[in-house]
Amino acid sequence: MAGVYLALALLAQVELLHFARFRGAEVSLVLVVVVWYAIRVDARRAAVYGLIAGLCEDVLATQTGAAWTISTTITAILAGMLSRGFFADSTPLVAGITFIATLIRSLFFWIVMAIEGYPAGYAAIHFHQALWQALLNAALVVVLTLAIRYRENLPFR
Amino acid sequence: MIIVAALVALVQVSAARNGSPSPITVAGMTAAALFEELASGAIGGVRNGGQSLIAIPQLERENARLRAEDVAVAQENARLHEEVTAYSQQVALAPRMAEYRNSIAARVIGFPPENESRAVTIDRGTRNGVSRDDGVLTAKGVVGRVIEAGPFTSKVALITDFTSNIPAVVQRGRYWGIAKGNDASVRLEYVSQDAPLKIGDRVVTGEARSFHSGALIGTIIRIERGDTNLYQTAIVKPAVDLSSLDRLVVVPK
Repeated sequence: MAGVYLALALLAQVELLHFARFRGAEVSLVLVVVVWYAIRVDARRAAVYGLIAGLCEDVLATQTGAAWTISTTITAILAGMLSRGFFADSTPLVAGITFIATLIRSLFFWIVMAIEGYPAGYAAIHFHQALWQALLNAALVVVLTLAIRYRENLPFR
Repeated sequence: MIIVAALVALVQVSAARNGSPSPITVAGMTAAALFEELASGAIGGVRNGGQSLIAIPQLERENARLRAEDVAVAQENARLHEEVTAYSQQVALAPRMAEYRNSIAARVIGFPPENESRAVTIDRGTRNGVSRDDGVLTAKGVVGRVIEAGPFTSKVALITDFTSNIPAVVQRGRYWGIAKGNDASVRLEYVSQDAPLKIGDRVVTGEARSFHSGALIGTIIRIERGDTNLYQTAIVKPAVDLSSLDRLVVVPK
């Protein structure tokens, strides 16, 4: 099932979310799915999931080399390491982790891109974009968790 | 009673003599008409209701058929709209196709996953004759160049991508420079300080690896000229709306 979610997220990422940009940034459905999965499993499984997700993104992207693979795997490992420290269905915690994970992933992504020879010097643009993306991702997580909670009729925690 | 009867008789006789209906007749006719109207309406309603009840299965079938027809017409309408759009885009691209004999028509089918680069994926690859570094245009001007060519699809770096560098010429005066991608715009760099650039000047491609000369890149919207710099830089607004790309032409060199 996690594979299906990832496939759907990738499809939406490549075909649809391009048209829903906000201030140059777009929601990373792939990262949301990876973090969602990673905080529910151990770090090893999270790493494998992040590796597959990042690899798929690199295949679909242009000139990224292994940047998505490396950055998404590292992010998934970090999120997976946290999985035993809190309740994975806590809305504020998951949203906060998604926010930080987006920034960490973006940081590693641009470090790898710079190593691969992508032109440097656009840090301000990338940082601005990463901040907006982190906000959008966190907002999406809040909406998703509230929707799931509403569906399962659970009290807000 | 006798008096009332006599009075009625008198009124009726008087009216008959005058050749006009008596007030009593008029009142009676009006009341009868009203009654007839009500009765007729009720009977008609019952009759129609009965007929409707009998016709319900047929009406349901007809309704279902009409709904299906409605859906089919809506789909046909959407298809025709799409064809009209495609046709108008093809008509717009026709001069480009005629200009470049080996040109390949293509459509945009994908975008970078997270907007990390300014690029698009097109539905033509090496099997269709596309190869790396081929130029990509629309009717309005330059889109970018092919940076990866697979068998069935290719990836095109837009002129606004940070890795895009295209030899360019300011059409008025033939001042050379390099058009570099700058996220939402293009920076025309390495233009001689002596070149009297003006806002609104058209910037076109120079003869190079990906493009023939003369394809429109955009127009200058700002000029950055420092007294101590060797060169001046112009900010160019792309001629093509790169956020809504659909049909393109790949121009093998």
